[in-house]
Amino acid sequence: MSSPNKDAFRKPNLKAHISTLLREKVCTTISPDVIYLMKQAQAAETSESAREMLNTQIENVRLAEAQKKPVCQSPGFPTVYIKYGGCLKVSDLTEALAEEFVSATNDGFLRPSIVHPLTRKNTGDNSGPGVPNFELDYDPNIDYIDVIVSLKGCGAELGNALRIMTPAQIGQNYAGVKEFVIDTVIKAGGKPCPPFAIGIGIGGQMDICAKLSRRAVSTRKWTDRHPEPELAALEDELMDKINQLGIGPGGIGGQTTALAVKIGLAYTHTAICPVAINFYCWVARRNGLRLYPDGRTEYLFTEEAN
Amino acid sequence: MKEATLKTPITTEQVRDLDIGDIVYLSGTVFTARDMAHLKLKRLLAAGEKLPEEFEGGIIFHAGPVVKKTSDGWQLWVIGPTTSIRMEPYADMVGKMGVKAIVGKGGMAEGTSAALGKYGGIYLLAAPGCGVVHSQAVREVRRVHWLEEFGVPEAIWVLDVEKWGPHVVGMDSKGRSIFKDIATRANSLKKTWFAAVD
Repeated sequence: MSSPNKDAFRKPNLKAHISTLLREKVCTTISPDVIYLMKQAQAAETSESAREMLNTQIENVRLAEAQKKPVCQSPGFPTVYIKYGGCLKVSDLTEALAEEFVSATNDGFLRPSIVHPLTRKNTGDNSGPGVPNFELDYDPNIDYIDVIVSLKGCGAELGNALRIMTPAQIGQNYAGVKEFVIDTVIKAGGKPCPPFAIGIGIGGQMDICAKLSRRAVSTRKWTDRHPEPELAALEDELMDKINQLGIGPGGIGGQTTALAVKIGLAYTHTAICPVAINFYCWVARRNGLRLYPDGRTEYLFTEEAN
Repeated sequence: MKEATLKTPITTEQVRDLDIGDIVYLSGTVFTARDMAHLKLKRLLAAGEKLPEEFEGGIIFHAGPVVKKTSDGWQLWVIGPTTSIRMEPYADMVGKMGVKAIVGKGGMAEGTSAALGKYGGIYLLAAPGCGVVHSQAVREVRRVHWLEEFGVPEAIWVLDVEKWGPHVVGMDSKGRSIFKDIATRANSLKKTWFAAVD
């Protein structure tokens, strides 16, 4: 490994990398693992109208990249997941990110969509208290920084659900949890821009299961497998059931309803089983960058081998 | 399955002829309207005040664009549908205003089905998440209302479109809804999986 570059984690250098990440890898395209799944779904889909919808959606991504336009008019709500060690002054990165969101908005990469929740007054540049939302993870054992930017659509957010279940409600083979998921998906129907992915947070308390659900679907590759076999099997079973529901791309029928189901789990108290369900639309504007202290960088979501 | 091209002003007869699953292309004037625009239209109507546009025979698009300001006015950059169900509380008002086509995503509910039947109208599904594709049909931004008050997404943008589509008729004037049919079938299937739980 080459020697550390003392400027690698300072604001000017971070700013340049973040600008490329946000404009070229997030706003104007979708995550490479998701485009892979969209193409797989298109090849497998038997409904003609559903295949036509998937065609249009894939074509839209191609056009956005070619024309350097936002791939979707709605930038959703931005969350940035940051993992860092001891070598970063965190404000260098969070300030650079907040400034870049405003600058990219002024350049037409994001529609100004952030408002006061009660008065509905638009700030005009996607800034505001709590925006972007930063999720910081300190790990003293790493010398690199991971920055994952996720613009999660809010039509998808309207379908989300959370329930503090009791031990009795979990059911045989977790049937109660599965039914809650399936019910939520049927109620959401075409609203979260299917084919979507869902994150399921299980455990902790209310806020923890909600955060787990968001993190699972926002930071995991949609093509990965859960490392725990029992949870991997649960993800597979729910994927299979959801894709039998016939909701289809755009919600007008077809076999392709979900591209992925991702579970995040924490332990909880003996009295409860909190479960949160979090939709992520197919236009998955997210990618991540790993920055090393010697100045090297790599993208965290890359092309899948077909 | 039929295919139709509708040009504004659209007549009640034209939309009554369409069924769920039909394909529609649109030409003419389109008004974007989301939550805040609907709320303000409601308040204006309640107060007996004049609306900023004539909506009879018109098209409402549940959408908020990305626009760029140029020396000749506004350039439409990207536009696509937002989740329509949020506008469900205004279903009857929109029908009464004479709107003949609502374009959005995700579908709407019983109130909209009733209004589409009562006044004559259709709900069209625009491909979700396809803002660049939809923007190609927009010829011009004619004008904008309430921009200062509500900001870019929630303003009413008056657009001139040409052969915009294909859109799928998701809900028709005969009370039928693709979204309702799919949910009914999905719920029946769900009952076979979880019968033991109930």
